[in-house]
Amino acid sequence: MRRAVVALAAATALLACGSATAADGWWTFDRNTNLNSTLAWKWTYPPSPAQYSRSWRAGSGSSTDECRRGEGWLPAGWYAQWGHWNHYGGSAIRGRVWWLQDKYCYDGVTKRVELFIHSEETADNGQACTSAWDDPFCWEREADYYSLGCIKLARPSPVADFPGDLGSAHSYYHSYGGSSNHGDLPNDAYELYVFS
Amino acid sequence: MALSRHLLAGFALIAMVAFAGCSDGKQKQARPHPASPALPGLYSVGARIFGLPGGPVRLATPPVTPLAGWLTPAAVPSADGRYLAYNSWRELRQDDPKLSWSDQGIEPGDPLATPSIRLYDSRAGTDDVLAEGAFSLAWRADGALAYFKGAERDYRAGVSYVGDVVVRPSLEGAPEVWSSERGRYIVVGWAGTRLVAYIEHEGEALDVVVFDGPGRMRALAANSALVAISPNGRQAFVEQGPAQGRPTVRVLELATGHEAAALDLTRVDAAVGWVGYAGDWRADRVVASSASGLAVFGVAPGKISLQKALRVAASSVAEPRFVDSSGLRVKAWTSVRRGGVFLDCDFAEEACDRAMPLPEARGVHGFPAWRRPLYNPSRPLGTS
Repeated sequence: MRRAVVALAAATALLACGSATAADGWWTFDRNTNLNSTLAWKWTYPPSPAQYSRSWRAGSGSSTDECRRGEGWLPAGWYAQWGHWNHYGGSAIRGRVWWLQDKYCYDGVTKRVELFIHSEETADNGQACTSAWDDPFCWEREADYYSLGCIKLARPSPVADFPGDLGSAHSYYHSYGGSSNHGDLPNDAYELYVFS
Repeated sequence: MALSRHLLAGFALIAMVAFAGCSDGKQKQARPHPASPALPGLYSVGARIFGLPGGPVRLATPPVTPLAGWLTPAAVPSADGRYLAYNSWRELRQDDPKLSWSDQGIEPGDPLATPSIRLYDSRAGTDDVLAEGAFSLAWRADGALAYFKGAERDYRAGVSYVGDVVVRPSLEGAPEVWSSERGRYIVVGWAGTRLVAYIEHEGEALDVVVFDGPGRMRALAANSALVAISPNGRQAFVEQGPAQGRPTVRVLELATGHEAAALDLTRVDAAVGWVGYAGDWRADRVVASSASGLAVFGVAPGKISLQKALRVAASSVAEPRFVDSSGLRVKAWTSVRRGGVFLDCDFAEEACDRAMPLPEARGVHGFPAWRRPLYNPSRPLGTS
């Protein structure tokens, strides 16, 4: 219901403002638990200060110690977003992804690196569900919200009925103030804020 | 120099007394340890090192491993205790974690820091760079030293810090490249003549790999991390966390990769949940950090069993190491607002004492000081 209200407000604002491209957007991530935190896309229509947002359940890490490399959730603070791909073909992460800068964690020493917003899907945005328990490019179960540190969003698969949150986030990002570009975006103004 | 060493030792003792018995209220009351301070044998507080044969010293820079966390030790003593090889990090420009790189004017490709491996010689009192643009090291009993050497000297914004694994037969020997292609390697330890390391992928995904020699690398455990190498150097105890499927621990033969034993952690005490990397293996017991604190496993031919689980009231526990052969007492560390705190945990008492030597010590840019145990995870080895 809340999402619908926000979406309605956004639609109304769109009509009033005429063009979605005039919007200015950014991500926020509110850490609650490793399996159930909140990723939001927020946007405004400058010069109006009114903020609009759409949020999704998201996971991050398997520990709440942000300094544990490969285990802890995403460290707090502002992040530059330096890339977005629809068909990323990495060895561990594929499909629709947003690439985030490296970040010192709370100890001021340990760097968290290779950080993304992503899901579990193939490079062509499909699902590869073959095994009995866990495929890296198939969203099968609740535990898929765990990550090694990245932010993860759910998506539907042939073997489980999860919401299409990755697709929704991708759509909102492009429709309401995110960049229309893809690939390395070194001068991308779009940022992520992770709450403490 | 002698005076400063005495002062440092005095501060450490005062802090230790002040923090002894600061166990969390949820645990049993701390029991007295009058003759056994709750500190590792060799440890760092910022740049200060305690436990070397000649007494406390201050290194040129703090031993830190920003690009590895505690996947690998911050510093490793030589087998004879004379040397301490350690990781250092020289920032080329400040990087405020509260701000984005864009807001700090950091552009893609900007040099941010230079990691280096330094060597402290306790006999000569020297502290020199051993390898610039390098981090994570493993020191074998015969003196062979392995480490990661970056393709470039500096770690740069938005650029993966790739490079090679190199091995020196001795401190004076010429480095030889063992990796057949560049990658993001993190060197962990020797297992006999084999070298155990990580390859890091997107999202900090880790594969445990073994080098049998120059150009002879093979995957040992994909999407896994190393808890410990067996005392005889023939096996590895590896873990897989919940992000990669069912949380599991396994014992693997290092020569063949054969799985000697496995334990599904969803079928043991739920307090364990998952276990973390950088633990310890002594005799037939392995200790690892867990979701709720610490876990001790028994390793027998073809079988891993959970022997003890200890809940520790801390944000997380890191680098647990056995104190003695009883397998009941473990030292580790955790983080609090004022920095690292050492834990001395007794599984029989189900309690942990805490100690924060030099509590007022500060780290870089005013951050709390790192306090870490320093050890050599390679096996077999006379020191640990």
